[in-house]
Amino acid sequence: MTVPALSLRNVSRRFGALQAVRDVSFDVMPGERRAVLGPNGAGKTTLFNTICGDFPPSAGSISLFGRDIASASAHERTRLGIGRTYQTSLLFNGLTVLDNLFIAVRGLMPNRFSFLRPRRDDTAMAKARTLADRFGLAPLVAEKVVNLSHGQRRQLEIGMALAGDPKLLMLDEPAAGLSPGDRPGLLAMLHALPRSVTLILIEHDMDIALPAADIVTVMKDGEVVVEAPPDRIEDNPIVQAIYLGSGLAGGGH
Amino acid sequence: MRSAAFRAIGALLLVAAPFLLLVVLPQNQALFWTANVLGRAIVFGIIALSLSFLATYGGFISLAQMMVAGSAGYAVAILVDGAVPTIVGGVPYALAMPIALVVATLMGLLVGAVAVRTRDIYLLMITLAVAMGVFRFVETNIAWFNGYEGIRNVVGPQLFGTDFRNPYVFYYVSLVVAALLYGGVLYLVRTPFGLVLQGIRDNDRRVAALGYSVKLHRIAAFGVAGFIAGAGGVLATIYNIGISPGTIGLGPTVNVLIMSVIGGLGHPAGAFIGSLIFTVFDTFAANIYDRDRFNTLIGLVFLVIVLVSPDGMVGLGTRLRSLLGARRAPQP
Repeated sequence: MTVPALSLRNVSRRFGALQAVRDVSFDVMPGERRAVLGPNGAGKTTLFNTICGDFPPSAGSISLFGRDIASASAHERTRLGIGRTYQTSLLFNGLTVLDNLFIAVRGLMPNRFSFLRPRRDDTAMAKARTLADRFGLAPLVAEKVVNLSHGQRRQLEIGMALAGDPKLLMLDEPAAGLSPGDRPGLLAMLHALPRSVTLILIEHDMDIALPAADIVTVMKDGEVVVEAPPDRIEDNPIVQAIYLGSGLAGGGH
Repeated sequence: MRSAAFRAIGALLLVAAPFLLLVVLPQNQALFWTANVLGRAIVFGIIALSLSFLATYGGFISLAQMMVAGSAGYAVAILVDGAVPTIVGGVPYALAMPIALVVATLMGLLVGAVAVRTRDIYLLMITLAVAMGVFRFVETNIAWFNGYEGIRNVVGPQLFGTDFRNPYVFYYVSLVVAALLYGGVLYLVRTPFGLVLQGIRDNDRRVAALGYSVKLHRIAAFGVAGFIAGAGGVLATIYNIGISPGTIGLGPTVNVLIMSVIGGLGHPAGAFIGSLIFTVFDTFAANIYDRDRFNTLIGLVFLVIVLVSPDGMVGLGTRLRSLLGARRAPQP
């Protein structure tokens, strides 16, 4: 039997009185592309942050390739194969594009803690340059990140998430704020990802999320309310109720 | 290119300063300026550099740096021959000084570990609490620290048959130590450790999400800062011919912060610029206004500099240079 890349069992996360994520369970198989949809406040990003180790779940278990990671720290989970982006770009504004990518590449190297400057033929630096090239940032390598446009920052976000060759890539609204002209490029990049990388994607833009996904999970009020292939999402009455407010949500109202 | 020339001229001036002072001042005043103004400014600049390193590249404002420097000073005073009273004694300076640096590094690591989960005002408060705790402990412990009297007669080693406290020897040794530490900081911030440290300053969540241990890097940064402060602490103890708890009290603790802020936390050079300004006012407060009004004077200087340039003298210099550069640039 194939071990799921990610397995969530009754994962909950509470902030005081607010139940942000409630009893979420699903498996993501290796190589699968899963989109997580839902209105604002549905708990999608909280679920992401719980999976990535920003904070532990209040209840439930999280396994990565069969290994329980619920109590592992964020950096330990990254070392186990998770790469992620953030809803709002979290970059190192005071450093250059190349330095951002260089740090990202070195994060999973055994000698990541080093008091020695990289040599000219440093492999991490070479990989950082290759990534800059791949994400259209080559002319900007010496530019401080604070000076980048929003679209360039989103590109850099994804480049940094891929720098450590993650086995599970988690993208939190990668199309947010992108111009219409940049969206096809993002979709092409998602399609070009090798199947050795499992993908979980939070995205509001259906034109990105549905073509990119094998399966879609819809969340509302912290719970999973629909899990279906992308071609059965748009005509799903619960999804229509959530997005169009037709009163059919939950099926029992 | 211009900034390289600027730096070269600055370095040359620092090397030639004792001789230039002899040209423009009577010998006794030139000696006084060499040791008591420039030498002292360099020594306290080293301690301020340890804070600037943490603040500029890690975003950590630590109020424990003077205490960490003092731990190295006390280590030397406790160990060396000739100190009064003799606590341990019998250890030559050549061995006592490296031990003192190890002590300061360990103390830095300890402060870093205690404060590892705090930021901003909470980091400031917890480092201050640790510093004041050590200060009170030292002040009340007779067996190891000789209480409030401290340890005297720490005169430093002989260097090639010359007294370490000879103004010129002290000045040039301090200058070389400062240059090495300053260069070390500039080297370190371009290493993976330094870049990750700057990453923590900008966004520690992202650093963790890239696979780095934020805690490990933070604690190590405090260790590096401890080493720097320790070097300053050893020199300061020899400069003062001893050490007492007053050296690590609240006043000197805050003074290090004032030096760093006056100089500017945007670049490690700010530590030395701030220290020089502070030392000049400290030394000549009596001539300028009144010895007892030193705090008023330095407070006013602090206010003026922070109001005119929140990023200190370094920020002011950067803005002036860019202004001049813009004026010199050819008009379209």
